[in-house]
Amino acid sequence: MGVFRLDPAIYNRYKDQVLKLCNSFQRIDRPGLSDRQIAEQLGLDERTVTEIRCVAERDCYPLEEWEKAIEFKRKATLEWSALALKRPDLKPK
Amino acid sequence: MPGLPPGATAALKSSAFQAGATVCGVASAAAFDAHAPAGHRPGDLLPGAASVVVVGGSQPRAGDWAATSPWVLQTMGTTERIQSVGRKLAQQIESQLGYYALYVPPGTASGDTPFLSLMLAAQLAGLGSRSLAGPVLNREHGFMYWSAVITTAPLETDTVEGESACPAPPCREMWERERTTPCLKTCPADDGGCLAGTLEHGRAVRTFYDAARCNTRVHTHWVGGFQKVLEETLNETDRDRRKMLLYGDFFTRTLWAITYSSTNIAQCFECMRVCPAAHGLKEMK
Repeated sequence: MGVFRLDPAIYNRYKDQVLKLCNSFQRIDRPGLSDRQIAEQLGLDERTVTEIRCVAERDCYPLEEWEKAIEFKRKATLEWSALALKRPDLKPK
Repeated sequence: MPGLPPGATAALKSSAFQAGATVCGVASAAAFDAHAPAGHRPGDLLPGAASVVVVGGSQPRAGDWAATSPWVLQTMGTTERIQSVGRKLAQQIESQLGYYALYVPPGTASGDTPFLSLMLAAQLAGLGSRSLAGPVLNREHGFMYWSAVITTAPLETDTVEGESACPAPPCREMWERERTTPCLKTCPADDGGCLAGTLEHGRAVRTFYDAARCNTRVHTHWVGGFQKVLEETLNETDRDRRKMLLYGDFFTRTLWAITYSSTNIAQCFECMRVCPAAHGLKEMK
């Protein structure tokens, strides 16, 4: 017996609905639901919804987005350093 | 069951301040019911929970905010300092008052979610309110780290803040001029970022938040980044190209971060770095 493993077919069938209902993309007019609440709405068990959400949240963006995050932070940090230290020369090119 | 001795709550708070907390408040465990779904409330972790003690502090210093490297704020590990205060309070409640005390672990429970929302706890304990960017900000001290203890002790509770630190006056002025705020400008959802919002009657209203993208920034070199590179590596058929991924800077940095995970959990501070309510732009020599 291995660990709980989500059936990829179930994942592909429900991932969009789970992402829409959970807190991953928060909109002001639509509070996110807990896994238990999503499970009740979709007729699934809570553990399956938890697994779908965990995988889907990681699946949302490709690895390139992680690389973009590094550049975003590097640039934003230098922009703030330039402002806070009054050193315009530190501004990223 | 005998009640608490007079002044028990005040004595507990005094201990928190002596141990290094900047702020300390108490929320009723029942107050979570209106905000947190079943399974995410204090009583779900500790049956019979009556109160939640919350401490905040260990803020980054002006030099940390002004550093030219984004990795400074990620690796200084001030969260651990406030966590030790929480552990100390839990010990004190049990040894001196004789009530159960559960220190809320700072990590995640199953489902990649926290054991208890520390930000909600801070709000309900009257220590701050949600900012447009997300983090709870204290009106006097701005951005800080939180720790909490759930207890069966019926401590005196604090009231929720009436006014919030966000939006700060400079943000209101910026909104009038540019229809944006510092946090929205630095991380806009409609231009590759995570946040969207508006100011209505002087109040900040967050209209959209992309938690998945925020995760790529907050956990760049953590569990998410590790899983993404591992997946890429397993899919790579060429041995030499696999080596480049595994020995490269991204994966190496990620392994360092995970090795010291408790001091590297938060890895993006850009919405807070530009936030006047979070720390201000203090003049330093």
